[in-house]
Amino acid sequence: MDEKTTVGNEFKRFVRFILQEMKPRGKMLTPFNIISIPIILLGAIILVIRFTQGLGAVTNLSQDFPWGFWIGFDVITGVAFAGGAYIITFVVYVMKVEKYHPIVRVTVLNGLLAYIFYAGALVLDLGKPWNIINPIIGNSFGYNSVLFLVAWHFLLYMMAEFIEFSPVVAEWLGWRRVRKFLNTLTLGAVIFGITLSSLHQSGLGALFLLAKSKIHPLWYTEFIPILFFVSSIFAGLSMIIVEGTISHRVFKNQLDPTHHVAFDEIIFGLAKGATISMFTYYFFKALIFIHERHWTHLNGFWGVWYLVEVIGLVLIPCFMFAYGVRNKSLGIIRTAAVLTLLGIILNRLNVSVIAFKWNAAVKYYPSWMEIIVTLMIIFSEIWVFRWIVTRMPVYKESRDFALVS
Amino acid sequence: METYSYVNIFETKGLEYLLLICFLVLFILLIRYLNPAKTKL
Repeated sequence: MDEKTTVGNEFKRFVRFILQEMKPRGKMLTPFNIISIPIILLGAIILVIRFTQGLGAVTNLSQDFPWGFWIGFDVITGVAFAGGAYIITFVVYVMKVEKYHPIVRVTVLNGLLAYIFYAGALVLDLGKPWNIINPIIGNSFGYNSVLFLVAWHFLLYMMAEFIEFSPVVAEWLGWRRVRKFLNTLTLGAVIFGITLSSLHQSGLGALFLLAKSKIHPLWYTEFIPILFFVSSIFAGLSMIIVEGTISHRVFKNQLDPTHHVAFDEIIFGLAKGATISMFTYYFFKALIFIHERHWTHLNGFWGVWYLVEVIGLVLIPCFMFAYGVRNKSLGIIRTAAVLTLLGIILNRLNVSVIAFKWNAAVKYYPSWMEIIVTLMIIFSEIWVFRWIVTRMPVYKESRDFALVS
Repeated sequence: METYSYVNIFETKGLEYLLLICFLVLFILLIRYLNPAKTKL
C-alpha cells in the first residue's frame, strides 16, 4: 500500500512538473514570434491542402521533376548542416578533446532536431506518405538501393542522437539512476552515430549517381558521395559557428560567464577544422575538374555559376577562415561561416534542382507554397529548440548533477 | 600503330599529379600558417 502511494505521488509530481514546464516563458511579442507565427500557421494550412488534395495542389512538381525544393533544401541541405553533431561527438568522446565539451549538448540537440524536422520533411514529399514504412519493414524494397540505406540510416541515426541527448532529459526530470545508465550508453551511441553519419552523408550524394545524363557535367562526377561527405564536415562546423554565435546572444542568461570566453577559443578551433576540410574539398573539386577536362564548360552561364560556387563560396571563405584564425578575428570567421553555409545551399541545390535537367525546355521553379512550408519547418525547429534550451540543462550541466559527478 | 605519347601531359595524367604535389606542399604551408610557431621569451 505504501509503495503504491509512493508511486502515485511520484507520478503526480511528474505530471505537475511537465504541466509547469509546458507553460510559456518570456515575452510573447518578440520580432521572431511576430514573423514566425503567421508563417507557421500559413504553412500548416498549406500542409492540410497538400495532404487532402495531393502534391500537385501546392507544388510545381511533375512527372518530369518529381524531386524539388523540399528534397533539395530540406532533406539534402538540412542533413549536411546537421553534420556538426557527428564531428563534435567524435572529437569529444573518441578523441577526448575536452575543449569542445561545452558545445556537445547543444550540437547534438541541433543535429537531432535537424534530422527530425528536415529528414522528417521527406514525408511531405512522398505521394503516398504511409509508404515511408516500406524500407523499414522490407516491403517491396530493393535491399541494394541507396535509398534503402539512407532510410535506415536516418532512422538509426535519429535513435543514436536521442540516446546521446537522453542524459540531458534525465537531468531535467531529476532521474539520477536513469541518467547514470544513459551515460554508459553514450560512447557506443557516438561510435554507431559516426559510422551511420559518414555513410548516409555520402549516401545522399550517391542517390544522384544514377542521374548522370540529367546533371550538368560540371556537377556530375562519380565522386559525388565523397564530395558530399567532405563538404558535410565544414557545413557542420560552420553551422555550429553561426548557430553558436546567435545562441550566445539570445540565451546569454543560460550560460556561465566563463563559457563566453571559452566559446571564442572553441570558434577558433572550429574555424581551423573548417579551413582544412574546405582546402581539401577545393582540391578534390579541382582534381575532378582537371581529370574530366571540363575547361570547355566554363564558357557561358553554367561556367560562371560553377565558379561562383567553387571560388566565391568555397575558396574565398576557406582563406577567410585561415586569416581569421591567424589574426584571431571572430568577425571574419563568422562572415566566412555564413558564406560557407550559402555555398553548401548552392551546391546541394545545384546538384538536386538547379543544374538538374539543366538543358530541359521547361524548368522547375518552386512555388511560393513550397517556400512557405520550408520556412515553416525551419521556424518550427527553432521554436522546439528554444523550448528545450530554456528548460533543459543544454548549455551547462545541471548544478545538482555536476556536484555529484 | 602506337599513338600514345609519354610527353603529352593530358595522356599521362601529368596535370593530376602536378595538382596533387601542389596540394601536398600547400597543405603543409596551410598547417604552418594556422599553427604559427610560438616565439620563446
